[in-house]
Amino acid sequence: MTNTNKTAALLEIKALCKSFNKGKDYVVDKVELSLKKGDIMALVGESGSGKTTLVRLIAGLETPDSGSILIAGNTVTSNSTFVPPEERKIGMVFQDYALFPHLTVYQNITYGCKDIEKEQLTELLELVGLIGYEGRYPHQLSGGQQQRVALARALAPRPQLLILDEPFSNLDIALKLQLRNEIFEIIQQLGITAIFVTHDTQDAIMIADDIVVLRKGKIVQQGNATSLYNDPNSLYVAALFGSVVPLNVKDLSYFKHTAADSETYAIRLERFQVNAQSTFKVRAIIERSLFFGQQYLNTVKLPNGTLVNFTSAQQLQGEIDLGFERAAVLVFGNTAG
Amino acid sequence: MRETKPTYLKRDFNKWSMGTLAIVVFMGLPIYTIVLRLFSGPGETWQHLVNHVLLDYVLNSVWLLTGCVILTLAMGVSSAWIVSRYRLPGQKWLEWLLILPLAFPSYITAYAYAGFFDYGGSLMLLSQTLGFDPFRMDIMNVPGLVFVLSVSLFPYVYVASRAVFVYQSGRLIEASKLLGANEIKTFFKIVLPMARPGIFAGLLLVIMEVLNDYGAAKYYGVSTFTTGIFRAWFALEEPATAIYLSALLLLIVFAFIFLERWQRGKKSYELASKSNIRLPKIAASKSLRGIFLLVVFLPILFGFLLPVLQLGYWSILTFKTVASASFVAIALKSLGIALLTAFLTVLFALMTLYFPVWNRLKFLRKCGRLAILGYAIPGAVLAIGVMVPTLQLDRWMISVGENVFDMEFGLLLNGTLSVLLYAYIIRFLAVAANPILSNQLKLKKSLSDASRVLGKGPFKTFLKIDLPLLKPSLLAAFILVFVDTMKELPLTLILKPYDFNTLAVKAYEYASDEQIMEASLPALCIVATGVVPIILLNRFILNDKHE
Repeated sequence: MTNTNKTAALLEIKALCKSFNKGKDYVVDKVELSLKKGDIMALVGESGSGKTTLVRLIAGLETPDSGSILIAGNTVTSNSTFVPPEERKIGMVFQDYALFPHLTVYQNITYGCKDIEKEQLTELLELVGLIGYEGRYPHQLSGGQQQRVALARALAPRPQLLILDEPFSNLDIALKLQLRNEIFEIIQQLGITAIFVTHDTQDAIMIADDIVVLRKGKIVQQGNATSLYNDPNSLYVAALFGSVVPLNVKDLSYFKHTAADSETYAIRLERFQVNAQSTFKVRAIIERSLFFGQQYLNTVKLPNGTLVNFTSAQQLQGEIDLGFERAAVLVFGNTAG
Repeated sequence: MRETKPTYLKRDFNKWSMGTLAIVVFMGLPIYTIVLRLFSGPGETWQHLVNHVLLDYVLNSVWLLTGCVILTLAMGVSSAWIVSRYRLPGQKWLEWLLILPLAFPSYITAYAYAGFFDYGGSLMLLSQTLGFDPFRMDIMNVPGLVFVLSVSLFPYVYVASRAVFVYQSGRLIEASKLLGANEIKTFFKIVLPMARPGIFAGLLLVIMEVLNDYGAAKYYGVSTFTTGIFRAWFALEEPATAIYLSALLLLIVFAFIFLERWQRGKKSYELASKSNIRLPKIAASKSLRGIFLLVVFLPILFGFLLPVLQLGYWSILTFKTVASASFVAIALKSLGIALLTAFLTVLFALMTLYFPVWNRLKFLRKCGRLAILGYAIPGAVLAIGVMVPTLQLDRWMISVGENVFDMEFGLLLNGTLSVLLYAYIIRFLAVAANPILSNQLKLKKSLSDASRVLGKGPFKTFLKIDLPLLKPSLLAAFILVFVDTMKELPLTLILKPYDFNTLAVKAYEYASDEQIMEASLPALCIVATGVVPIILLNRFILNDKHE
């Protein structure tokens, strides 16, 4: 282990590659990352994009094909070094919580601690709202409570880095929203450095300082929530942050630069205005308009065949103009997908 | 550009990689030995054997296998389907009585039937008492052996098929019925094809046991590969010929294993839905019920009740002469060695399953599975595979002792229990590993990952997480190996220390000395030690699956 710069990032990843089929496909492909102490990073991407493998590599649960990982300046994984997971001081909340079924809540939480003071434990139990549940077994707890035990267990040994791998994927929406707030508050309160894996960009927007978008093992874009929303570099990234409607160059003859075969145009659904007086509009055929409680859910067909759903106060019929502002159009080079 | 993938031997090699290698060498030694010996040519009698008896071995084995496959399939599948699908009187009893023939080693069933059908045997007496002409049948031939092996081995097919019937087909049968198929069409179009891999797995065990059998074939005077190996080894004293025969037999065994793997293919027989419902039971019509009861009862009668009655009758007759202090000593020794074997085998099974996982070298991870092949190797073959390298080691130690330390001593390993234990462990490793493995596969991988991340090393993780969660299957593994060791004959005959006897060997010796009635008491003791654990295990397996 070589201790380099003290002010260096807590986590540094260099040219990390991992393949599960001897190099045919790379699940993690030349990934470069660094994370400052106290920051929260979100890894976002569709399933199969390599998020989970990346954090498992960081935790030492997988060995990479090449590349290196440094934690607090120490090399933990490289071509010649491998520090086993038990020596990495990382806390991890697993997707399925991985609570030990034969151990009580108390035994689960203190599992990773050499000796834990009573006060510290009480503090922790209070933090996650589990006072009085110490003697129960995991199967006697609700999904949300299990989630909190998993978090408390990961935090108890005071890890230098906390990894949360899709922690909400097993919860229903209402519980998820509540827990998301709670967990965010706890992490902020403790000032802990964290990596948060999710396929839901809303989670990422809410929790993370820095969002990393992965696709097929590669980092496609990295930045804060606003920059990723306003300035996505690909249709893939744009689509992660809300519905986007791809537009055909032919439909959009009013774009002055028509040498645009190499480019893809799209617009966010929420930027469309119905029957607006704007210069830019698309003629759309209304396929159906169904009463949906407070409003109508409309399905309209754009000239290029794309079906678009949006709501309106009144029932719509025939054809409408969907207008938008020039600035609302997202333009991508085709190579960016 | 990505560089070509280097191998990280230095980075990923750890002490568990060493452990894995050690296990693979230790467990594979007998097979390597036999394969290597093939290159040093056959013995002098090999040509004679090929010209005169080999065809016999092959034909007899083919007849035995064909007959046993058909009979065990017929008995095992039909009884399994009837008890899984229909409500019958005494249901619970029938369900586990059908497993009980497993407590009988096939050579003991063979002895019982030899006496039953023999001149002056129980059948003759019975027919006379009932006022018929004295009736007897000669069963000391291939069809007789097929019958005996089948009634003692069909539970392997029964257990495997019932497991699939009960736990897999509920929803599918409902769907099939809703689509308009009747009971018979549903069985042949849905149930049977779905259960095929399970049934084949059970059938593979039957085939292994038939090829492994020595005691029954020997007593019935049927020449098979196994009896041939014994003859070459003991009567002709030609190890090279025995090894050649062993290799041939191994080839046949591996062909069957390959066949089983191949038929499983890539099709998925697992139901997609997790909400699996158990097979609903229906009532059988009155006329059918009688037939069903008969179909279920006959295997129980032939596989368990008749042999028990025959052996019990003889035991009473011979109790005074057989039950002596030395008999009790033999019984206790048998128990002792079976317990020790069970313990050691479970230990080795755990090492075989865990060392490869803890090691980080990928190619070694797959090697662990190789070590489990032992059960496929017939006992006689394994015995020779164990004897050859251990004898070599013994000779080497003797020469080192003489030349280096100037000491003289005899064989340190051969003729001691250590070699026998070594062979038992290899032979029964798969028996122990299978229940543990299936339990291990049900444990979420994330549990041990979580423990590792929380600062516990692989061994501590095993002790604190895996071991407590594997407890039920460890018990099952222990019991299964214990019962199998009590029954084991061919391997024990070859490798046992000179003055050491087990109940199985004692029964065999009595039977070979034409004292078949005296053989019944040790035989009954083996059956008794087998019955209790089987009942326990059946309870436990069913309870486990209810959860």
